[in-house]
Amino acid sequence: MNPGSLPEHFFRHESGRLVAVLSGRVGVGHLELIEDAVQSALLTAVETWKSAPIPENPSAWLYRVAWNRLVGDLRQRTRRLAILEKHSGTAFPLSSVDPEIASEKEIADDLLHMLFFCCDPTMPVESQLVLSLKTLCGWDVREIGLRLFITEENVYKRLSRARSHLKARSRPGASSHPADPDSVAGVLRVLYLLFSEGYLSIRLDFAVRNDLCLEALRLTDLLARSSVGATPETAALMALMHFHQARSSSRVDGSGGLVLLEDQDRSLWNRDLIQRGLGWLELSARGETYSRYHAEAAIAAEHSLAPSFSQTDWGKIVHQYDLLISVEPSALHELNRAVAMAEATGSAAALARLENALPPSWLVLSYQWFAVLADLHFRNGAQDLGNRYFLKALESAPSPAIKDLLSRRLASYAGKTKAE
Amino acid sequence: MAKYLCIQRGLPGGVEGGSPSPEQMQQMYAAFQAWQSEFGKNIVDLGGRLGEGRLVASTPKIDGSFIEIKELIGGYMIVSAASLDEASEIARGCPGLVGPGSGVEVMEIHAP
Repeated sequence: MNPGSLPEHFFRHESGRLVAVLSGRVGVGHLELIEDAVQSALLTAVETWKSAPIPENPSAWLYRVAWNRLVGDLRQRTRRLAILEKHSGTAFPLSSVDPEIASEKEIADDLLHMLFFCCDPTMPVESQLVLSLKTLCGWDVREIGLRLFITEENVYKRLSRARSHLKARSRPGASSHPADPDSVAGVLRVLYLLFSEGYLSIRLDFAVRNDLCLEALRLTDLLARSSVGATPETAALMALMHFHQARSSSRVDGSGGLVLLEDQDRSLWNRDLIQRGLGWLELSARGETYSRYHAEAAIAAEHSLAPSFSQTDWGKIVHQYDLLISVEPSALHELNRAVAMAEATGSAAALARLENALPPSWLVLSYQWFAVLADLHFRNGAQDLGNRYFLKALESAPSPAIKDLLSRRLASYAGKTKAE
Repeated sequence: MAKYLCIQRGLPGGVEGGSPSPEQMQQMYAAFQAWQSEFGKNIVDLGGRLGEGRLVASTPKIDGSFIEIKELIGGYMIVSAASLDEASEIARGCPGLVGPGSGVEVMEIHAP
């Protein structure tokens, strides 16, 4: 290792690995002690490596320091317990644990177990998200709050609820949670949410959002390479993430504003990521399963492969939206389908379809709904209706970036009436 | 080049910043590396944090007030510089020394 140089996010990722490995060895019931020991080991490293060169194997070094600290803490706790309960039967059998650094294979297994633990379906999904970001990604409360756009207090609450829940579920000495095939769907859902938070969030700057996407991709990759997680759904989610990630740098302009798909510079799209996405898409086409990830990956693939906006095969995309709606009915999917349909068969047909739909009230009041209606009416030549929905969309836009995006998209239509 | 003793002191009214996150630690470490490579020639002794201490004096009662001083001093290092101003700038650039609740006292060491 180069003196003084550490891989990007080394501390954060080591934190996740250490917490997972130590949880595998002494049981996730000791999560709080484990996190303290890991934090203390990282701080020791920062201090020590200031004046001494970084050791040849910094991971092994960190592991030893964290392990020693954890053993000390556990012994202290066991002694206290023994005094309290007046018997030593609860003593943790530390001597039975191998203190050596784990192999890469073991670390991957431990991380996988931890992932299933964090995505425990008996916890609220919000807690699953927060716990995953804390234990697997090594973000602290402030950093998680920033990424999920919730207060630090809220993060604390979710975390402590998740921890006590896990504690209640884990028996003393039980070292790992079985990576159960039935739980894969729940894990995928959390990973999908993590990625979407990063990809779709309109409230964060690009670097922070991209960080979330990369972490989601890293964890999904871990799952996809395990025997229990290598399902067609996982491959489809991998494909979806790759296609989205490939286009991420063209989605923002120089000043951080969002760029419409229509206006994106397609030469910026990462061909390598698209190729890898196609590889995963091929892997996903096994067996009988067709999940929402399959449909969303297929739609993203269609966009990624189209040479331009106008040369996109909109008919295929409409068809994929139909499949998506059949496996995961959602009014938002209907709305997206309408946008694709307007390109494929014209705005009149899309409007007719939307007007026959009965969207839920949350959608009817959202800027997306108003914006799509405005767009379709403008294209249909109904300037007044278009203008009315355009104003409503602007009023309900949740952020300046969205407002700006809407203006750029719709102002040219809206301007026509003013000029006339 | 004269040598200067730099002593980190806690300053009143400082806010206790919570424990840094792993990502912040990495940034701290990178900032320190950058500082170290910039002023490598000037660093005589990187010093370190100071732990438990004791004042040895002829009057034993003085120990009481020393406890407060001990808590205020965080660590030390020795740098070489052409002037007190230069030494101060080197110390100011060292990550983690000067900030909310912490400052550094720079004093010339008179060599015999």
